[in-house]
Amino acid sequence: MRNKLLFGRSIDTGSWVHSVDPRAKLTGMVLYLIALLVVNSWVALGLATVFSLAYMVSTRIPLKYYAKAAKPLWVLMVFIFVVQSLSIKQGTVLWHIGSWELYSGGLSSGLIAALRMTLLVSFTAILTFTTTPGLLNQGLSGVLKPLRKVGISAERLTLMMGIALRFIPTILDETHKIMKAQAARGADMKELPWKEKGRLLVSLLVPVTVGAFRRAEELVLSMESRGYIVGAPRSEYHLLSWSKRDTGFILSYVMLVAIIVYLRFI
Amino acid sequence: MEGTKLAYDLQQVSFAYEPEHPVLSDVTLSITSGSWVSLVGANGSGKSTLAKLLGGLLAVNAGKIIVEGTPLLRETASLIMPRIGMVFQNPDNQFIGATVEEDIAFGLEGQCLPRVEMVSRVQQYAEKLGIQHLLSKHPSELSGGQKQRVAVAAILAMEPAIIIFDEASSMLDEQARGELLHILRDMRSNGDYTMVSITHDAEEIMASDRVIVLRDGTVAADVDPDTLFSDDALLNSCRLIAPYHIRLIQELERRGIKVPPFPNADKEVEGTLWPLLFNK
Repeated sequence: MRNKLLFGRSIDTGSWVHSVDPRAKLTGMVLYLIALLVVNSWVALGLATVFSLAYMVSTRIPLKYYAKAAKPLWVLMVFIFVVQSLSIKQGTVLWHIGSWELYSGGLSSGLIAALRMTLLVSFTAILTFTTTPGLLNQGLSGVLKPLRKVGISAERLTLMMGIALRFIPTILDETHKIMKAQAARGADMKELPWKEKGRLLVSLLVPVTVGAFRRAEELVLSMESRGYIVGAPRSEYHLLSWSKRDTGFILSYVMLVAIIVYLRFI
Repeated sequence: MEGTKLAYDLQQVSFAYEPEHPVLSDVTLSITSGSWVSLVGANGSGKSTLAKLLGGLLAVNAGKIIVEGTPLLRETASLIMPRIGMVFQNPDNQFIGATVEEDIAFGLEGQCLPRVEMVSRVQQYAEKLGIQHLLSKHPSELSGGQKQRVAVAAILAMEPAIIIFDEASSMLDEQARGELLHILRDMRSNGDYTMVSITHDAEEIMASDRVIVLRDGTVAADVDPDTLFSDDALLNSCRLIAPYHIRLIQELERRGIKVPPFPNADKEVEGTLWPLLFNK
């Protein structure tokens, strides 16, 4: 179970990407997202792939981890591919079944869409692979700081996110236990028709939600007894310091966006 | 005057979540600084509620709680709370940080300590509890016993004077429980901490200085552990069973074999029984 759950787990290899300021990484990821959304040609996709691979390799984390990060979303990729390739009617008709027609343009853009999605998911894993959740949180809190002007406390938001991330594996574990308990009483998810599965999911949701609330209550007590007061000043365990390398890191992403936008609109 | 300093002085403390169901009524007791007190009682006797009151997590309905000479009130809570640390039952639900290191640092951040101080305390207390090698681990990679060690480290790092253990060992396996007990014994021998432990664990009770038995929200007995374990009626009322070596001694005495009083552990009983075997 634990090994499957790569989401939110950091892998420490001590590469230079690991030590980049989390704020720079977050900004970089947003830029990367923009760049990939603009990608619509094979040349641009090729460029983005080279760029991504270069970063992935320099994290010194085995590439198979990135592949694993994208794997759970393969249904989505297939869906994107099918919808995209059937809805674009350009180029020559490759084949048709009934009223469904597949054009060469559709096939090409479907492939691009699916591949860039794969790239996006596996690449953004760099962020969680190379940054511990605490640092990530602090980076997020730094990036969100301007929100204070509209009356939203970035610290509170990031604390909520941090706790949510921290408890995902715990609550998943609990869910598995309840599923097993239900299976032991004859309600086995795997053997039921879809409609029944839906009903069973609801009966799973209730104990899991109740359990989460119980945990939340205990967590509040624990936080209070460790002196947490909402809105009170706190010092920060991780110190963030911006260096020239962080600026360079962001610049590389700015260039990626610029080139891909240029390729799209020439 | 050091010996008579009081960590807690409770005067006629009453508490109820709903007025018609009082949980604690008229509890009066005091706890001297540096001592280790076990709080025992059957389920529903009000011991967890009393722990929360002592920890400042609940406010009394009537009566007074005086902590180290200062009454615990809404206005003074921010002064007193940092003096008190609490370790709870479920190791999972008191793990706030995403790694061991961050979890220990969480309370320190709240105390607004400078970074250098935080780093040194994290190291110091991780070492004290033997968890340095776990500092970068996520809670899902730790065992229950290890998580509970982290919880203790996180509390000790805040350097409180009083520590309340609210059934801290009840979800641990036998070995982890033994390890936690070892940690508690260590803390006691330093004399730096006043410890209040709510527990059902006979070994833990034996190791403490004093036992307060709660029944239906009042103090039913305030004795030393040896007296508790030689009083069957009292033991029954708080649904406890004496540790093996004590039951053995009692059984021997019933059969007319005199054993020197109060050996502290199985080994010592063994030591006193050997000579008897040779005397025959």
